[in-house]
Amino acid sequence: MSPTSGRTSPTFGSTHATVGVLPARAAAEPAGRLRRGWRRVLRRPASVVGGVIVLVFVVLAIGAPWIARTDPVKADWSQIRKAPSGAHPFGTDDLGRDNFARVVWGSRISMQAGVFSILLAITVGVPLGLVAGYYRGALDQVIMRLTDAWLAFPFLILAIGLVTIMGPSLTNATIAIGLGATPTYIRLTRGLVLSTAAEDYVQGARALGAGDVRLMGRHILPNIFSSLLVQATVSIPIAIIAEAVLSFLGLGVQPPTPSWGTMLNAAQQFLESAPWMAWWPGLAIFSLTLSFNLAGDGLRDLLDPKDY
Amino acid sequence: MFEFLVRRAAISIVTLIVISVIVFTGVRMIPGDPARVMAGTDADAAGLEEIRAKYGLNDPIPVQYLRWAGLALQGDLGRSIRTRDPVMTTVARKLPITVELACLSVLIALALAIPAGVLAAVRRNTAWDLLASGASLCGVSVPNFWLGIMLILFFSVRLGWLPASGFVSFWESPSGNLRRMIMPAFVLGTALAAVLMRQTRNSMIGVLGADYIRTAYSKGLAGRAVIFRHAIRNSLIPVVTILGLQAGALMSGAVVTEQIFVVPGFGRLIVEAVFTRDYPVVQGVVLITASSYVLINLLVDVSYSLLDPRIRFGGGS
Repeated sequence: MSPTSGRTSPTFGSTHATVGVLPARAAAEPAGRLRRGWRRVLRRPASVVGGVIVLVFVVLAIGAPWIARTDPVKADWSQIRKAPSGAHPFGTDDLGRDNFARVVWGSRISMQAGVFSILLAITVGVPLGLVAGYYRGALDQVIMRLTDAWLAFPFLILAIGLVTIMGPSLTNATIAIGLGATPTYIRLTRGLVLSTAAEDYVQGARALGAGDVRLMGRHILPNIFSSLLVQATVSIPIAIIAEAVLSFLGLGVQPPTPSWGTMLNAAQQFLESAPWMAWWPGLAIFSLTLSFNLAGDGLRDLLDPKDY
Repeated sequence: MFEFLVRRAAISIVTLIVISVIVFTGVRMIPGDPARVMAGTDADAAGLEEIRAKYGLNDPIPVQYLRWAGLALQGDLGRSIRTRDPVMTTVARKLPITVELACLSVLIALALAIPAGVLAAVRRNTAWDLLASGASLCGVSVPNFWLGIMLILFFSVRLGWLPASGFVSFWESPSGNLRRMIMPAFVLGTALAAVLMRQTRNSMIGVLGADYIRTAYSKGLAGRAVIFRHAIRNSLIPVVTILGLQAGALMSGAVVTEQIFVVPGFGRLIVEAVFTRDYPVVQGVVLITASSYVLINLLVDVSYSLLDPRIRFGGGS
């Protein structure tokens, strides 16, 4: 998932995530720093709009049972492929199910896959990168060569391979996407640790007798957190698209569970007679990923240490 | 330079070995008897025994790996369960189609990204820059399979201008081939264009601030001559690197694009192999893809050094 944030680049390696490390002195004036950061964000209204739209999708995902009152799974044979109307604002699908309800419930699946897969990548990747960058030597070499090899698998092909081994389901797709994103976090964390470990405050803590675990947990990790957070905002939209792709290919969420990818898969067969089936799930993916990318740009500005 | 190439090649070889171990282990992690996996569900006891003997599945795992890797090095990746054709033959048949698709998409991406990136950099902080950056962000955010469906909806279903799917060989009918490949290539190219445009813009902005550009201006060269003769050429070096790094993304994109437009290429082969549980094909295709990615990146590094002889590699890469 990509460069860039690319669906692109469905590689999760991102050119955005080069935000450095917070210098120790920055911690001294967090309020002023935040104020300056907010001013920078407010100068970019597109980022604010992006953040608001992401929040709307979060509300949709959490409040799906109350927002979409129609059952998203129940077929209604009298309502097959009905065009958008007052009763069904997004129309109905080939089984007469309400598209609006399915798009709203689909946001839950997309958010879940996007967030949990990246949490998995962080949980696995950050400790490995931390250990590799902190201890260096043979351990670093082993971890990094494995990471290089892992990165050589195009992300989607790796995910397809893993789902083949584990079987198609939302959980397995989430795990596959998370494992696909892991090498990016190993590399990023390692690079950040290498630069942070050389800082005076880390050396000072070491001179005062702090052990390895304390140095990594209390001094290095909190200082690389902002960069990891920025990377997460780049990775989540890629993971959301990846889940939709896997579901579209039949390797993720299985019908009848509503997912934007499976909805697009079904829509493909009815482009002539029911084009609205393809509009809404696609627009939902596009607007969510675009909003994440816009909000991520703002977050980068908010946390960019170059301005401290 | 020579030292760099040797070190870079050594790292690539180690990476390829690790990749082969991962692929080999991956297939053995599939639940059930590997012989059953390779022979398919309809194989009888004799067939299973034959597979075990052929692949030495009763031998220790390291011995099995070395034998498999040795055969793979000689180009023997086993046979497809579905068609019984050698995996290499199947890949050799499908790969040119995906390579054609990838080349067309790179051409489209370069045609969109370089002029837009240069324009955005030269007219920095103007409406042109905003438009190009907005288009790049949209290109990165739009899911390619949805873009593909929308193009089919518009150009095939509504306007009837282009065929919605299928494939005709270029040698059979050049125009028929291009009419069928233009939409998938565009879909695959947009994501790449978005990434390349951003890179071109950033790189061009850096180059435009360089001393030699100021010198060129001060010599009295016209703005257009400075940009075309000096700036663009130098700003394209990082773009080449990004293009190499995007090879994997292109491969991932081809999987979905070929599925939507029913292009019988390498990407569609992978999906078909997964659904028919054709593990030798899945294993072979994943191995070939990952190895190609490593080799492409090696070539990119080498070309990088050839494009810009000032680059010194002593500090590691």
